[in-house]
Amino acid sequence: TRLAEGTPRRSIQLSNIVEQRIFKDDDIISTPKRARSKLAEDVDYTPKKSSQKTPTRPRRVSTAISASASKSKEQAPLTPSQKLKKIRSGELSPSMEQRCQPVDAAQKSQLQLAREQLHVSVVPKSLPCREKEFDNIYSFLEGKIEDQCGGCMYVSGVPGTGKTATVTGVIRTLQRQVEQRKLPAFEFLEINGMRLTEPRQAYVQIYKQLTGKTVTWEHAHTLLEKRFTTPAPRRTTTVLLVDELDILCNRRQDVVYNLLDWPTKAAARLVVVTIANTMDLPERVLMGKVTSRLGLTRLTFQPYTHKQLQEIVGARLAGSEAFKGEAVQLVARKVAAVSGDARRALDICRRATEIADTNEAQSSQKCVNLLHVQQALAEMIASAKVQAIKNCSRLEQIFLQAVAAEVTRTGVEETTFMGVYQQLETIVAFMGVALPAPGRALSLCAKLGAERLIISEHSRHDLYQKILLNVSTDDIHYALRVEAN
Amino acid sequence: MPEIGQEIRRTRRFLKERLQRDYTTLRGYEAERANVRQLLQRTAEMGESNSLLLIGPRGAGKTTLINAVLTDLLLNEAFVNNTLIVHLDGNLHTDDRIALKSITVQMRLENATDGKVFGSFAENLAFLLQCLKAGDKQSKSVVFILEEFDLFCTHHNQTLLYNLFDVSQSAQAPICVLGVTCRLDVIELLEKRVKSRFSHRQVFLFPSANKFDAYTQLFQQLMCIPSKKELDAQVDRVDSLEQFKSDAFCFKHQHFDGLEYDFDKKYTDSWNKHIAKLLKLPATQKTLQMLYDFDVSEAFLKTFLYRLVAQLKPAAPLITVEQLSALANQYESDDKVELLCGLSVIELCLIIAIKHHSQIYDRDPFNFEIVFARFSKFAKVSTTMQGVERAIVLKAFEHLRIVELIMPLSSSGMGKLQKEFEMHKLALTYGQIQQAVQRYQALPTEVAQWAQSSLI
Repeated sequence: TRLAEGTPRRSIQLSNIVEQRIFKDDDIISTPKRARSKLAEDVDYTPKKSSQKTPTRPRRVSTAISASASKSKEQAPLTPSQKLKKIRSGELSPSMEQRCQPVDAAQKSQLQLAREQLHVSVVPKSLPCREKEFDNIYSFLEGKIEDQCGGCMYVSGVPGTGKTATVTGVIRTLQRQVEQRKLPAFEFLEINGMRLTEPRQAYVQIYKQLTGKTVTWEHAHTLLEKRFTTPAPRRTTTVLLVDELDILCNRRQDVVYNLLDWPTKAAARLVVVTIANTMDLPERVLMGKVTSRLGLTRLTFQPYTHKQLQEIVGARLAGSEAFKGEAVQLVARKVAAVSGDARRALDICRRATEIADTNEAQSSQKCVNLLHVQQALAEMIASAKVQAIKNCSRLEQIFLQAVAAEVTRTGVEETTFMGVYQQLETIVAFMGVALPAPGRALSLCAKLGAERLIISEHSRHDLYQKILLNVSTDDIHYALRVEAN
Repeated sequence: MPEIGQEIRRTRRFLKERLQRDYTTLRGYEAERANVRQLLQRTAEMGESNSLLLIGPRGAGKTTLINAVLTDLLLNEAFVNNTLIVHLDGNLHTDDRIALKSITVQMRLENATDGKVFGSFAENLAFLLQCLKAGDKQSKSVVFILEEFDLFCTHHNQTLLYNLFDVSQSAQAPICVLGVTCRLDVIELLEKRVKSRFSHRQVFLFPSANKFDAYTQLFQQLMCIPSKKELDAQVDRVDSLEQFKSDAFCFKHQHFDGLEYDFDKKYTDSWNKHIAKLLKLPATQKTLQMLYDFDVSEAFLKTFLYRLVAQLKPAAPLITVEQLSALANQYESDDKVELLCGLSVIELCLIIAIKHHSQIYDRDPFNFEIVFARFSKFAKVSTTMQGVERAIVLKAFEHLRIVELIMPLSSSGMGKLQKEFEMHKLALTYGQIQQAVQRYQALPTEVAQWAQSSLI
């Protein structure tokens, strides 16, 4: 029938669009596939009339082109649906509103310069303390590109240890190599699991990076399948970086399977670098066949030690006198003890510069010393629970004491409101305060529950709602005793 | 005297409006305010990307702080021209899809027209990220204000939070993510990679407890009528709101506006003097202390004062200490006891029977049969309750259940058991029943005596 005939032809047409970027030859789009295999051998082949459209071109495409041509003539403002069509075809580049007056780079103080250098977004050209990992990834990718074969790599490590920065750094170096013609050219695609609304959107994003067009995921899937499974001469190697791999794992794991299956195809020349947080993700989450395809080329990024963190911050501040040496050391040691997260260390340093900026407005020579860093650490690491208890109203404090007393009495963590209310009656009588009615005590309970000093059920359970203490009893005693003195 | 009557009415309206619709005046919190203000200013002027969490108990003035800071900054041309403000609320934007559409509209991106957003969820996300990625230091700063931040943490995968924080930590358009929440442990709700991208700046807003003097001063501030000069200063501030083009500040249209009010100087003086005198009275102090012991927040005092101000009328032109303590007593009173006093005698008898059962069996659950047996024992020997039929008592029992003085043990038990046999628990303390028996109007003596002891 007509439909059965028409469908494969149309998909062949569009798969040629995929090839467009690789061949860099616009005429190929309109050429049917069978003709192209002949054409590939003959490089200097040019069609007689490139402007003439072949009759097999689907109607939809031709109307789109004629519509865009007529629009450019008129210069009329686009209707929203026209705009959407342009966005989908990648013709309209997304943009942000511009500033009225630009940021002036002049009159920046030393602290300000330091603050800009310390911002997490300012990624240095070469990452300090990650040379070994860099070499590892570099040699892997370089080998794969030179051998023109496909492969997989799995990179893991806790957040903030420089995984993505190192991989993109490697890619940048490789691209520079390509420019100097020391390496065959390759394409770089990158997706991030967390930037997708669902795993299957990965196909859409990959296809979009190849061609700039937005299509449905089913369509994108077939096109990509076609691109990677059919052999094509002059295909360059493609490097695909998949960030946050664990988000792409759904129950069926078809997306992860496909992403890792394509490199095994001889025609694909696809190198996949996957990044995730947990070291044992392939064994824990992924199915056997996926793990097998992921292979054993793995790399783990260890959390930074305090020496490394110190070096990182030091490298960013190179040449600046804004920080005292011991201040950087304190930050490095504190952060390394908690998480080894470089982002955290940089943020704390940045906060310290702000504190130094506001505290010492009068002194001309500004420098971040130990006190500023200590204040920043206290702001960003310390918990505020004691402070919160101290600033509760009197009855709320008594209520917290009552919960603590009931926990001590029963020996169980979980208490009911009734028991707490009985303790409340006792404590109130002892302290000589008017007893709040159960209804008011319930609203006290709800207020403390909203702040999460206690964990309580919904108030419709009334006297029988269960209450858990979310702070330690020591915190309560400490906060209330210190206040009494 | 119609003159005085009008003055009173105007005062009442002035005070009410100031209590209810003054969204931008913040008292106290100098350090925190300066902190937030500097952060926003740096975002706007230098194109820094930042993130911040504003944490404090309910009613502590978190939203007011943001409004106040923005009102301050709006006086600054450089801020207005270089920033977009995007307002999101966890209660309204219940998932990322809705939130994303709202962002697209508020940022006036290209795929939004007149509040309508085109394309699917995935397309919207991709387009927004592309836009932000296309931006650099030369594009406008965007300030995202996420109210009820903890609710955004419940969204699927925390996609929105990840992407916002990720933009703030990479070299893209300068944005500032400002989360507002009342949960102290909100950081624990973030996923580890979202947590790593958050800059861990937290500003805590705690209303100052153990400063009762400040509380009484607040009372005075809220009740006094300001002079003409102070009113004018206020008006200028509010006018600056008008020049801001964002729709995010829907409150600016109905903001409290002191311009409409013009008070007689003599009247103002006498009113303020009266308030000062009222505040000195020990009874007032005691009432305020009572309120303060319960809740230290400004919002709580404001609702109290609103009810107080609503009592002003030409016949009673001044606020008296009696009004104050009567209103405070209303706050103190127990609603459930009021409810008990409104029950019929049969219902109260059932409550007493339940109380006896609970006391004997140490709060064991009960059903209608148990309670009815206990009630019948009393009804037989009483002179007033002899002719009561079982159906009527069952109806009374059902009434108790509907007003939730008794609660079924399991919510799903309905339908499995016959209603006479379904087990219940008592949602009252014995003290409340005791109070109700004492306060009940015209309770038969027999019932009152039975309430004292279960032995007849």
